Parts: sequence; C-alpha cells; structure tokens
Amino acid sequence: MLFLNPFLLWGLLAAVIPIAIHLLNRRRHKTIPWAAMQFLLKATRESRGKKKLRHILILTCRALAVAALIFAAARPIVSGLIGWGGGSIDTVVLLLDRSASMESKPADGLDSRRQIVIQKVRDSMASLGVSRLVLIDSATSKPQEIPSPDSLTELAATAATDSAADFPSLLSRAAEFLADTSGRSEIWIASDLQTSNWLPDDHRWAATRASLAALPQRPALRVLSISGPTAANSAIRLLGSRRSGDELLLDLELFRSSDSRSSTTLPLTTHLNGARTSESLTLPGQSLRFQKRVPLPQGSSTGFGHLSIPADGNLRDNSVFFAYGPARPVQSLIVAPAGEAADYLALAAAPPGFGNQSAQRIDPAMAATHPTADLAAIFWASDFPTGPAAESITRFLNSGGQVLFLPPAGASPSSFLDLKWSPMTQAPAGKFFILKDWNHSDGPLRDGIDGNPIPAERLKAIRRQIPLGDAAPLARWEDGEPFISRRIVEQGTAWFLSSTPDYSWSNLGDADVLLPTVQRILAAGADRFDASYLTTVSSDAAQVLPGEIRTRLDDYGTPDPANSAYQSGVFRLGERLLAINRPAQEDNLEILTREQLDQALDGTKYTLLDQAGQANDPSLSRDVWRAFLIAVLGFLISEALLSLPKKSHPQVLSKKVIA
Amino acid sequence: MHDFLDNTLLSRLGSLPIESRVPMLGNVAGKHRSPHRGSSVEFAEYRKYVPGDDTRRLDWKAFARSDRFYIKEFEADTNLRAYFVVDASGSMNFTGNGEAKIQVARRIAASLAYLLVNQGDAAGLSICTDKLHLEVQPSRRAAHLERFFSTLGSVQPTGETGLIAALHTIAEKTSQRAFVVILSDLFMDTTALGDALQHLRYRKHDCSVFHLMDPLELGFEFDRPHRFVDLEDGTSIVAEPNLIADEYKTALRDFLTTVRAKCHDAAADYQLVTTDTPLEPLLREFLTARLPKSKH
Repeated sequence: MLFLNPFLLWGLLAAVIPIAIHLLNRRRHKTIPWAAMQFLLKATRESRGKKKLRHILILTCRALAVAALIFAAARPIVSGLIGWGGGSIDTVVLLLDRSASMESKPADGLDSRRQIVIQKVRDSMASLGVSRLVLIDSATSKPQEIPSPDSLTELAATAATDSAADFPSLLSRAAEFLADTSGRSEIWIASDLQTSNWLPDDHRWAATRASLAALPQRPALRVLSISGPTAANSAIRLLGSRRSGDELLLDLELFRSSDSRSSTTLPLTTHLNGARTSESLTLPGQSLRFQKRVPLPQGSSTGFGHLSIPADGNLRDNSVFFAYGPARPVQSLIVAPAGEAADYLALAAAPPGFGNQSAQRIDPAMAATHPTADLAAIFWASDFPTGPAAESITRFLNSGGQVLFLPPAGASPSSFLDLKWSPMTQAPAGKFFILKDWNHSDGPLRDGIDGNPIPAERLKAIRRQIPLGDAAPLARWEDGEPFISRRIVEQGTAWFLSSTPDYSWSNLGDADVLLPTVQRILAAGADRFDASYLTTVSSDAAQVLPGEIRTRLDDYGTPDPANSAYQSGVFRLGERLLAINRPAQEDNLEILTREQLDQALDGTKYTLLDQAGQANDPSLSRDVWRAFLIAVLGFLISEALLSLPKKSHPQVLSKKVIA
Repeated sequence: MHDFLDNTLLSRLGSLPIESRVPMLGNVAGKHRSPHRGSSVEFAEYRKYVPGDDTRRLDWKAFARSDRFYIKEFEADTNLRAYFVVDASGSMNFTGNGEAKIQVARRIAASLAYLLVNQGDAAGLSICTDKLHLEVQPSRRAAHLERFFSTLGSVQPTGETGLIAALHTIAEKTSQRAFVVILSDLFMDTTALGDALQHLRYRKHDCSVFHLMDPLELGFEFDRPHRFVDLEDGTSIVAEPNLIADEYKTALRDFLTTVRAKCHDAAADYQLVTTDTPLEPLLREFLTARLPKSKH
C-alpha cells in the first residue's frame, strides 16, 4: 500500500491526541472535598478489570478513528500488483506480450488487451512512484529503459505486432538483466496467458526458474492478465499456398471466436497485384476450411496479394498475405523396376490433365546419379538405397524433399535410416488386410480441406511388407501393423507404405488411397519451392540479411515502419519476395490454466492479477480512502457503543429506601 | 439571631406538638404520657383498694354502688426530655449541591428544640467528634435555648465521627427515658451504629434518626476526573467518576438499605434527608407521623 500524499502521514501523530487529552484530563482533575469516601474506595477497588478494559477500548477506538482519518486523507493506494505488503520498488521489469492475440478486445472495451494493460501499468507506475522501469517486449526481447511510464503508450516498443511471444525466453532475459541490477525489483508480466506463448511444458522453464532463483535479490513476480470474454471476432488463416500453373491455390481457414452456432456471411476481399475482388463467404459454424483458387494474370511470373475480412474484435487476424513466383513443373521420380507398381505410381504422380506434373521412372541402379534438385518427390519401390544412392536420397531429404518408400516385393536385407523391410506376409486365404484407422488430420490420408475423409477403408491387401524401425505410423492395418509411417529427416520427410499398387498385392492401384497419398506427398515436396515466398513473423527467413533492405509492398492497413520487422505483410528483402503472416500459434486461443501457470512459475511465489472483464477499470491500483472513512465510522460507532451507559444503571434512591 | 433559625418556619410549625412514642418519665407535669398513674384528667382504669393507697383517690360513688373500695386511676402526664445528638465529624462539613450537612443538622435541631421548649419540654444537645464531646444538659427554660443555639452555632465539624461513643454515653448516663434525635450522615460502621441504637432502645429511649446526605453524594454525577479529599482524615484519591459510578452507587445503595434496616430493628424513626430538601414539609411530616393515632 502506498500513499498519494505521504507527507500527511505525519498527521498520524494526531492519533495520540485522544490519549493525551485523557492523560491531561487526569492530570487537570478538580479537587473536591469528599465525605462518602468509603463508597468511593470500594467502587475504585471494584471497577478495575472490565471497566478498565472498556475504557482502554474506548481510547483505542478514538485513536484508531483519528489514525484512519489521517490514512484516508493521505490517499492510500492498494495496487493489485503491489499488494498490501508492498513498499518502494527500485526497478520494475515489464515483460510485455505484444503478440497478435493481445490485440483482441475484451467484450466491454474499445481498446485492445495490450492497450488496456499498458494503460493500467502506466497508471500504476505513475501512482506507485517506481524509480526505474525496464521494458522487455515479446517482439524484440531486448531490455529497454523507459524514462517515464507516461511514454509507455507512445512507444514503438509497445505497439501492436503480428509476432508470437515466447515467455520462457522472456523471463530468462529478465533474469539476465536483473542479475546486474541492485535494489528491490519486480517482474511484471503483462500477457493474455495464451498457452501457445507460455509453452508450460517447455523444458526451458526449469532453466528460467533456476536463473530467477539464482538472483541475489529474488524479484517478486506479478502476472497481469486480462482474460474474460472477448469481443466478437473472426479470423482468417493461410494454411498453405501453392502455384499450380496459372492458378494460385490458397488453403485457408476462416474461424470465429464467438460461441454462436448459426451461420454467418463474411465478405472476403482478395487483393492481387493491386487488383481487388470481393466475394461473400458463408461460415456455417465455428470454422471453415477451404481452398481458394486465385487465377493469376496471363504471363505473370511473380506477384503478391492479400485476403482480408472486415475489422472486428482483433485487427491483427483479419488478413493473410501471399506471394508467388514463376510456375514450376512438379517433377517426380519413380525408382522402381518396370512393372505394374511403377505404372500406377507414375499415373498417380502425373495424372492425365495435370499438365505441370511429370513423372519419370528409372531403375534403382540409376538412382545414385540422377539429379534430384528439381524434384518434388521420389517414389521408391525397391530395396532401400545403399551407398551413393542412399547418400543422394539423404541429401534430397535434408533439402526438404519428400520420398515415399514402397515394399520391394521380396526379401530385402538392406536398410535405410535404420529401417528395413520385414519379410513379405500374406493374408489368410479369402481374407484381406484392411485399414482399421488412420490419422484424419495429419499425413497423406488426412481429411480433405472441405472435411471429407479419404475412402481409405476401401483398401484391401493380400500381401504386405512392414517397415521395421523407428517411424511414426499414421495409418494402421486391422491387426495394428503400420500401413503408412513417417520419418522426419531434416527439412524433408520419408514415408513408408507397407503394400504396393500391384493387384497381386493390393487394390492400391484403384486410386482411392494411392492418388491422394501421392498427390499430397508431391504437394508437400513442391511446397519447398513455393515456401521461399511464404514465412511467418520473426522466423529466420523473415530476418533481413546483410545488404538487404526491407520494403513493404502491400497496402493493407496502416503500416508501422518502426515495427515492420514484427508485422505481417508482403515485403521485399533485397531480392527476396516474402509474404509474412502471423505465426499459427497466435490463432490458438487456448488460455493457460492456473495449474499450468503454477507449474511454469513453480517456486517463484508469483501473484496473478486477472482483470477479467474489467476493461473500463483505468488503473491496476485502487484508491482505498473510502475504506478508511468507513473504518473511521466504524471506530466512532464502536466508541459510542462502548461509551453508552449500562441499561441496568443502579438507582441509589429506590422508593423503598426513601420511604 | 442565628442563621439556622427560621422564624417563619417555627411559627408555622408551632401548632404541631412534638409527641413521644413511648411514655416519658419527666420530673414535672407535662403533656406527655407517663408510665406512672397520676392525676391528670384522663381516666385510665379502676383497681381494688389496697391498704396504703391514698384514700383521696377512692371512688366514693363506686363504693356507694358496690360497697367495695375502688381506686380510680388516671393517666399521669409528664414532660419530655430530648437529646439532640449532632455528628460534628469532618464529613458533616460536606457541601455539594445543597447546604452543608452540618447546617441542615443545625436547622433541624434548633427548630425541634425551640418547639420542644415552647411546649414545656426539655431539650439538650450533644455534639460529638472523635476528639470533642460538647454537651448541653436538657432544660425547659426558655433562656436555656440561647445556650443551646449558641453551642450549636459554634460547632465546626472536624475529624472523625464520635457518634457511636456519644450514643452509648447518652444511653448509659440518661437514667430517665428520653427522646433522642440523631443528626448525622452515618458514615461509620453500620454494625456499631446498630449496636448503639439497640442500646438506646434497651434503655427505653425514643429514637429518631435524621440521615443527612448531599444530593451530590447520592447522584455522584461528575463530568471529569476529580481528586477526592477525605474531609475526615485528609487522604485523597484521584478517580474518574464515570468509570466507577455504578460501583459507587451500588455500594451507597447497600449502605442506605443497611442503615434503614438497623434503625428499623432498633425501633428508631428513620428520615433520609437530602440537604436540598425544604425543611418545612420535612419537619411537618416528621411531627405529624409522631402524633398518636387518636389525636389525628
């Protein structure tokens, strides 16, 4: 508790006035000759105890009433951040969450959570008289001295960004800073407690807590959160962007935060190279995934644009940006001996009508020397590569390529990535291996963007070879053996299928499973060429390299040049064209639970101040003089009650005595 | 003229006789009933003649009717001897919201003495402290009153009370029945007071107690702490009356109840007199209450 008029606290000395008056009264007594001394002596003897206590209580009430009045006049402030036990603080390190989710507005407010929390911190700082304020914002992660709390709302370092926040790292930075700082310090964390920013299960928390605990003077941790209901908000997210000939395929997701289940219509505006088109989208429920095909101008080699929805509860999630480069043929390589399996693979990799897709088959012996730089994917239906071929495939994987391995249709002793094929097994006569379950949200058998599942249950196999080794299964046969497994290798992915599109093995050739699998692997492989045009805020690709200059190209919103590195948009960095979007984790609105916060900040004795739904409360600190005035009233009433004469006042002259 | 004498009061009360509640043994004829048969006009009884009786008192008419000798007896009237015992201890000097207690005692004693002498009775005075015992022997003479008054007026209350000893002395020394009027605040041991009253009763004295109290002593109403200095021994105590008022009043009430009970046990009249009480109604009530029922 602090005071706005601390000098008035000298008035507390006035609390001794009632006691002084009492003592003076005792000293300034009148002398009176008295006859009935025997009763006086007896009364004096008997009045000790309760009466004395009562008198002391009366005096105490008077003194406390005066003290409470002085306290009220001194304008006491109780800050939720400071608490009652607070005193003067030398340094406050403010960790400010500037992530895109902080731009959401509380249901009853006009300002974003970031603005509200900054105002609250500013007002509290001003009233608490903190001598030194250091800001570490989530975008730059750099400590920055703030000369005056009043400037907090004006600083570029507190402005909105499209970045994500990384709290384990931010707290570590705060601990590093405080290691060289003397005096009493506190760390104030202003955040919306978004789980994806706090990463409560991150292994770095242990080190963060240790570095905080190692500080010579452990700082108090105050977590300021403004949770509670959020204003109605819709958001758009770009899941992927791929050029296909003269079209740009944009995988998009539209979702809204309100709980309404009724459908709503949103205008979607597309800006492509300065041209603008609008359309209406009906959002049937909470979210809608769809693919938008954007026709590109004839002969357009590179370009950019953005899609936007109207402004709402969060201004930072209403747009996505894209850029594209020249059309590239999607080339794939089928490494397999000639035969039915190779034919079906070639057909699935370059179906008729897909003019920009081409597939070439080579024998496994030729694989080591075949160039792979322009390949989107390799389909390997033979023994695992060894020697130079294995090296070539590994390089391809490391650079982001996709490789699908299919069984060699025979015993194979060779291994790759510590995996090897099991001997071929055959289904009992008259029975098939059929798929039991598969991952509907990840992998090549995931549901379509419109939510329709792949008809993988139609797959029947009579022969199979299982990849043995460390790979994550994404689809399983009925007996639990993997049908599709995945192994991430650097930037690329190795996929393993446990049957081949050969009708003596399975009906994979029917295309229900093979076509989407091959096409999705191809798309993922081709994305690495388009990925150079797409990145997220604060990613490595979005950083300016030496000699590069960042120039914003799009005209969406009001760009903030001081924060261009932390904002989404289409930028030219030197020769690079980059569409930079907010990180996907910012669209995950899951809030940290108290248990998760306890776990993350275990041992720090933090204070959580959640101003849920109090967007209109201008300050974290509250004037509590009214409470003291009520206390004055309470003490005076108590004093009056204690001073009241007893109801059963003895009557000396009863009628009986007088008679 | 003494300041404690009020002529108006005395003239108003002059019509009211002071009666004794017990037969008196005076040495001259008076208006008070005597335990002996005498020669007043009031018939008492017949009794048989026994040799030695005064033949002048034979009822000859009864002898004529019954041929028997009867002695006709009449009530004997005698005078009354009153002792006014005035407590002159220091506490009687207390002046609160009324007159000083000693002054009220003077006024009561002087008025009653005047009325007594005026109706032919004898009035004596006994003034007592622990160190001083002034006595004015009872006398019927009007000139005696001047000595009575001057002695009463010269009293300066001081020291502790000697009332108990004075009462015992009067009880012992006064062989004839007397009317003993006690004027005191009775701030003393109530058991000893009771014993003294019982002593007087045993000696067949008619006792009346005027218990003098100041309204301030009864109400004990103060608005600030006071140093209370004992009027008798000079000791002092600083006290906050507001804090001890309840206990004080309880103790005082117990004391008054006890004193009243002691007086009742000793068949003594008890009058609680506050020093702000007008004397006329007080004395009128006192005198009226003492009138025999037949004379009402």
